[in-house]
Amino acid sequence: MSEPILQLERVSRIYDTGKVLVPALQDVDLTVDRGEFLAIVGPSGSGKSTMMHILGCLDRPTSGRYVLDGTPVEELDDDALAAVRSRSIGFIFQSYNLLPRTSALENVATPLAYQGVPRRERLERARAALTLLGLGDRLDHEPTELSGGQQQRVGIARALVTEPAVLLADEPTGNLDSHAGAEVIELFRQLHATGRTIVLITHDLEVAEAADRQVHIRDGRIAPDGRIAA
Amino acid sequence: MSLRDLLRLAVSRLGTGKLRTGLTMLGIIIGVASVVALVSVGQGATEGINSRLEGLGTNLLTINPGFSTSGATRGALGSATTLTIEDASAISALPDIAGVAPELSSQQLVVAGSQNETTTVIGTTPAYPLVYAYTMWQGSFLNQASVDHSLRAAVLGNTTATNLGLTASSIGSTIYISGLPFEIVGIMQPKGGSGFVSPDDEVLIPVTTARDLFVGSDSVRTVGVSVTTQAAMNTANAEITALLDQRHGIGAGGTPDFTITSQTQLLSTVSSVSTLLTVLLAGIASISLIVGGIGIMNIMLVSVRERTREIGIRKAIGARGRDILLQFLFEALMLSVAGGIVGIVVGVLASGVIAVIAGWAFTFNPFTVVVSVVFSLIVGIVFGVWPASQAARLDPVVALRYE
Repeated sequence: MSEPILQLERVSRIYDTGKVLVPALQDVDLTVDRGEFLAIVGPSGSGKSTMMHILGCLDRPTSGRYVLDGTPVEELDDDALAAVRSRSIGFIFQSYNLLPRTSALENVATPLAYQGVPRRERLERARAALTLLGLGDRLDHEPTELSGGQQQRVGIARALVTEPAVLLADEPTGNLDSHAGAEVIELFRQLHATGRTIVLITHDLEVAEAADRQVHIRDGRIAPDGRIAA
Repeated sequence: MSLRDLLRLAVSRLGTGKLRTGLTMLGIIIGVASVVALVSVGQGATEGINSRLEGLGTNLLTINPGFSTSGATRGALGSATTLTIEDASAISALPDIAGVAPELSSQQLVVAGSQNETTTVIGTTPAYPLVYAYTMWQGSFLNQASVDHSLRAAVLGNTTATNLGLTASSIGSTIYISGLPFEIVGIMQPKGGSGFVSPDDEVLIPVTTARDLFVGSDSVRTVGVSVTTQAAMNTANAEITALLDQRHGIGAGGTPDFTITSQTQLLSTVSSVSTLLTVLLAGIASISLIVGGIGIMNIMLVSVRERTREIGIRKAIGARGRDILLQFLFEALMLSVAGGIVGIVVGVLASGVIAVIAGWAFTFNPFTVVVSVVFSLIVGIVFGVWPASQAARLDPVVALRYE
């Protein structure tokens, strides 16, 4: 493997509530290689949401160093972070987070609009991404007209359409029944097989089993051996 | 995001929540409509006055007899019979005077063939068209000879001619005024105007003929005087006063038995007052535009709050603060400009209705439309930018967690 796509060095994130300092992440070191399928596993309150915000460039570490796809991002301003998100990150959320009252096609095309891709091209690419995920006949459906599994597949298409360096999935099966959840996991396996880098954040050990490697997080720290005792 | 993307987003947003959109726009609609209507009404009134100013004739002084006094009773202004045709001739000999047109008027039945009409018959001099700014349509005006010899010649106002069924070929034919035959020598161009009495419904005959046949006295109701230049108005006024004082035997400190009014000045004062009123009314109307703008700001703030999560999603998938700012700003602009356009339509319709009711020409000033659109754009920017910047500044982590 060449240089890692994602590298955290002694990253801490401390929330200042005004009265007390709450350390959500402490001195986290993490390296993800290109093409890897990694699961970050931890119970609620373990700091995995903070982890996702940092990895996804929605938030900056209080201290430490974070290099994403060759770009050190810990000191970028808001606009530059937005550009990094647009170019390098594909978010997949637990609650899908599709734009309301907006067709599947427009939803998937929207990240490309923020990249300045011409409308004709982005609709084409969005259509291709949705077709790839088996939603070619649902292009004009709004989120409320789609099942949970379908909505999540629209969300995955939206994450894929910009060809990001990393797919970042936050509890992607959390709102799905086991059947739809299994389908989403199978989709991740297939995407991984085509060479995509995927970081999956979950509390569900069973879901985490799908990944090549698991990192366990608890109380804002990565478990020393990458595993916690069962 | 490109301009077209932003526009498309804003338009599609207008479609959702039509009631809310409509009510928000209503504030701007009312504001713009009242500005447009009031400016148009003000302009209509001003133009009415201006056209009357022009119709009055250039540099016009009007002399009226004063009031009569019988015992302790003072009559109405103009009731005195002291102003005569001879006074008028004397005035015409003064310098700075371009023409003098005395008016000896009475209501008479005028008959032409099978048509008849009771109208104003005015005895006057050849200076009348110059003084009151009439032009001829057919034939010619009364000449000096017709006055000198008390000829039975008549010139018809355009409305009168139409009412009596007279046309261009009627020049030289005979009409009967109060049963007496007169030859039609001319028909005047319509002058229009916005008085209560049409200036085109009258019959003009030589002043001497009117005196001999209809009025039976020398005293005139009005003498119109056209002064050579605007600058000479005051001089002419003083000269006429001195002349009439002398002719009427009024010493220094005596009460003159005539009044001289410069209607042009009077009406230009009225005109400037109505311009001031227009500005004032437009100013008051623009307050409602500001209120409408606050309505937009209010709804945009609510919208930012409601759509916090959407803002978070958009930021997560690559929107910069600027993209969010522009998105919300364009929505506010769309509301204000759409409201402005509807407001212009409503305002123009309203001013049309008012013009019809008030009886003046409907004026439509494209400049008002441009100003209204620009104004509503400004309202949209001013009142949209703060909510939009609130949206743009949202922390994506917080916004994504927002339920």
